[in-house]
Amino acid sequence: MSASESFLMEQRHRPRQCEAGRGAWGRGWWALVVLLCALAFPAVWSPAAVRAAEVPNAVPPEGSYDGKHVPQPIEFPHDVHVKVNQINCMYCHTYARRSPVAGIPPTSKCMGCHSVIATDKPRIKKLVEYWEKNQPPPWKKVHDVPDFVHFTHEKHLRRFVFNNPGMDVADVKEVCAFCHGQVAEMTVARKVKPLNMGFCVRCHEANDGPHDCWKCHK
Amino acid sequence: MSTKINRRDFLKIMGWSGVGAALAGCDMPSYVTLEEGRETVTSYVHPEEFVIPGIGVRYASTCQQCPAGCGLHARVREGRVLKVEGNPSSPINRGKLCQMGQAGLQHHYNPDRLRRPLMRAGGRLQEITWEQAEKLLLQRLGPEASLKPGRVAWLTGTVSGHQAVLLDALLESLGSPEGHYVHEVVNDVVSQEVNRELLGDPLPRYDFGAARMILSFGADFLGASVSPVHFATEFGGRFRGVWNDPEAFRKGAFLPERERGVLVQAEPAMTLTGANADLWLAVRPGTEGVLALGIANALLVKHRRDASMLPEEVRRLVARYDLDTVSGITGVAGDLIVRTATWLHERTPSLVLAGGPATGQEHGFQAAAAAMLLNIILGNVGRTILPSGEFPFPQLTPRRGGTGDLLAFAEKASQGAVDVAVVSGTNPAYTAPAFVGFAEAFGKVPFKVVMTQFPDETAQLADLVLPLRSPYEDWGTHVAAYQAERAVIGMQQPVMTPLYEETRGFGDILLSLLKARAVEGYQGFADYYAYLRHAFATFAQEFGGEAVGEEAFWRRVLQEGQLRVPRRPGRLQAKAVPVRLPEPRADTEFPFHLVPAARLGLWDGRHANIPWLQEAPDQITKVVWGSWAELHPRTAQRLGVEEGDVIRITSPQGSIETRVYIHKGIHPEAVAVPMGQGHEAYGRYAQGRGVNPLKIVDAVREARTGELALFGTRVQITKVGRRERLVRMGGAETQHGRKLVATITADVYRRSEGGGEHVA
Repeated sequence: MSASESFLMEQRHRPRQCEAGRGAWGRGWWALVVLLCALAFPAVWSPAAVRAAEVPNAVPPEGSYDGKHVPQPIEFPHDVHVKVNQINCMYCHTYARRSPVAGIPPTSKCMGCHSVIATDKPRIKKLVEYWEKNQPPPWKKVHDVPDFVHFTHEKHLRRFVFNNPGMDVADVKEVCAFCHGQVAEMTVARKVKPLNMGFCVRCHEANDGPHDCWKCHK
Repeated sequence: MSTKINRRDFLKIMGWSGVGAALAGCDMPSYVTLEEGRETVTSYVHPEEFVIPGIGVRYASTCQQCPAGCGLHARVREGRVLKVEGNPSSPINRGKLCQMGQAGLQHHYNPDRLRRPLMRAGGRLQEITWEQAEKLLLQRLGPEASLKPGRVAWLTGTVSGHQAVLLDALLESLGSPEGHYVHEVVNDVVSQEVNRELLGDPLPRYDFGAARMILSFGADFLGASVSPVHFATEFGGRFRGVWNDPEAFRKGAFLPERERGVLVQAEPAMTLTGANADLWLAVRPGTEGVLALGIANALLVKHRRDASMLPEEVRRLVARYDLDTVSGITGVAGDLIVRTATWLHERTPSLVLAGGPATGQEHGFQAAAAAMLLNIILGNVGRTILPSGEFPFPQLTPRRGGTGDLLAFAEKASQGAVDVAVVSGTNPAYTAPAFVGFAEAFGKVPFKVVMTQFPDETAQLADLVLPLRSPYEDWGTHVAAYQAERAVIGMQQPVMTPLYEETRGFGDILLSLLKARAVEGYQGFADYYAYLRHAFATFAQEFGGEAVGEEAFWRRVLQEGQLRVPRRPGRLQAKAVPVRLPEPRADTEFPFHLVPAARLGLWDGRHANIPWLQEAPDQITKVVWGSWAELHPRTAQRLGVEEGDVIRITSPQGSIETRVYIHKGIHPEAVAVPMGQGHEAYGRYAQGRGVNPLKIVDAVREARTGELALFGTRVQITKVGRRERLVRMGGAETQHGRKLVATITADVYRRSEGGGEHVA
């Protein structure tokens, strides 16, 4: 499916939010629902469930995408790192908080742990092969936006994590999940959000993000 | 076969080429896609601590797009250089960079760059490996090569810094210490000679801030000059009175600190400098010296300036050039000569410059000497013309030259007196006029090596072509010919890893030859980088101070992109000599004067393979991607041509055909054709586009220096009868009688209250 097709499909499945409430009133309606949920349910939910599901002061963007499985040079298990070992996303994707791009961790960072951990596993042996050749594994890109879109990880993390009262940095994966899905449930990353303009704009509307064209198209 | 294609054929061709494109598309890797799993994202293996993917890092280096030596900051992201800007701490360009410098990226990433050495085999150039190329080179220039003294010739563009030191040592070792020829089309050889003889300093420093007026005889100091960006910042800032302190200017303090200086430009065809002038004088080509003497006459006679510093002989000479005579010879109206003289009289100190078409004549030296006479009368020497001082490392100073060296090289080669010729940093097969017969002369050399980045015209004639690294991939040091108030050695460092492995740096090639020839003092260095490190270790002792270690000093130089060096103060003399200017001769067969115009863009043709500069509209005519011939409206009317008509311009040496552009910024007896186009090779963007005016330049030499008189060619013009569209940006030059902007004539304005001395 090409990008334009996926965009059209996305349009078809788009909830009729514009008709439901226009402009500020529409946003107010959403906020009211969120507020009610927040007020009404904590007593019923277990604290752990709340912690896993919620980012304060944020409305997660809607939309889904059925991305294909992308074979990678090493079948990197995100699930083992995130779910089992509870490693923060930004430990490896350390550039996300500083740069427009999140960055692939340098091979030296992988080897920081894997020179001693799980050295007998076939995937680690493959990693060591690259390392000894002084080459990074040729990872395939999964998430991308067109060159005419200026997206920056740094600003989004500032809004939803670092400048977000009540947000625990340990829960950053819930913010990442807005656009990347529950990576904790995946091995190699798969595109599960449309990442098209409708998706971006809906989230900007719901979270009162900037609306100027030039914010993204500069 | 008929070249006409009917609609049916056209559709057939389109259909098949569409299939071809589709088939080709199957195997084409798609580099720009949003599809998952198509593009590769590469991480660092060991990241540098200061490198953040997605955010650029700046490296300081020195620009190599012309010999001015401006400092650069190159922005590098993910290991790729993306943008170059001026280095704010460079005293030469003060953070500014011209379009040629900015476009250096397109030399670096040019798709036509040579990726492997080439060797002539069976009459054709074929790709070989570096090992083979090095072996070939060593056969001819190595220790076993039996070279007779004086039989090696090395033709380069301007070379300075440690590359020049290595080249000198190599030529010495090859037994040809006199074998270095330096060729630059855009040069100031004649001006240097005048300055050396009359001032005792070949290139003095000009204080634009002190000058209240500039009178320039064809010196295009804002465009094609020895340091265009430096002069432009000096002119726009200190001379025009916008700022006087570079530091304050950098901080954004645009305080008018003084009155606005007045610029008068006298030249046959308008240059970028002429376009900035308050008064532009269209002077008959080759009579600039006469105009200078006419102004001197008005200063002495009308304004009774003190002339006691002039020898009696010179005073008598000046007295002969009265207003009517001068106006008659130069074609400049008498009142304009008087006005210029009055301004000069009132606005002391001033600055009188000569260059380009004034010096590019058979009597160029005399014309520049006449201009210098004005400086002496006006007392400018020592006030706006200052001694350049002595550079502390003479071995690093630039080896400069003009076309005279090319003529000498070609003559020697055609006599069969050269066994090995090496050409680097210049493209003489393109720039040499037809009368030189460069290809034949070069062909007589048994072994011809060309070091270049591109498959240029000279490379097509070579036996061995060595692909050079781009300036963004190579080490070097550069000393500019024109140094600002503070002198620097410009540092050139690689800002990214080389794009093509099978290329070498110029310094590395020189060093490997020196090592192969076992020249003493060069054995210990693994590469040119190691040699430079060693050289800067000695500088560290001299300039680093006690507290600074060698490593810290080296890092500081790299970070700043330059090393400031103190100059010993110099002295100027002011010698007035009698000048001998010929009467302009009327030529009935070749009535016009050819002006091969150099522009801050394609320059002498070296930038014709840069699409950005081809696309950038010419500063005067706004034409893009091609050649044109500038004619005065009166001349065009007499010849019966309009814009876009093709004319043939014929000199005794040949002819070129190009399209007419009509404007008033040219003398009616001149035809100006810009340099830079008309390449037969040099890659996809350059070749087969426009014409090269250098080809029809006549064999006229400047009498004193032997330099080629670039502007001394007489031509005839004939209408071809064909029309071609002149592609140019910009709107109409008339208001079509609709009074879009209300205007009054300059004369009326001058007489009104808005006038006064500020209006030309």
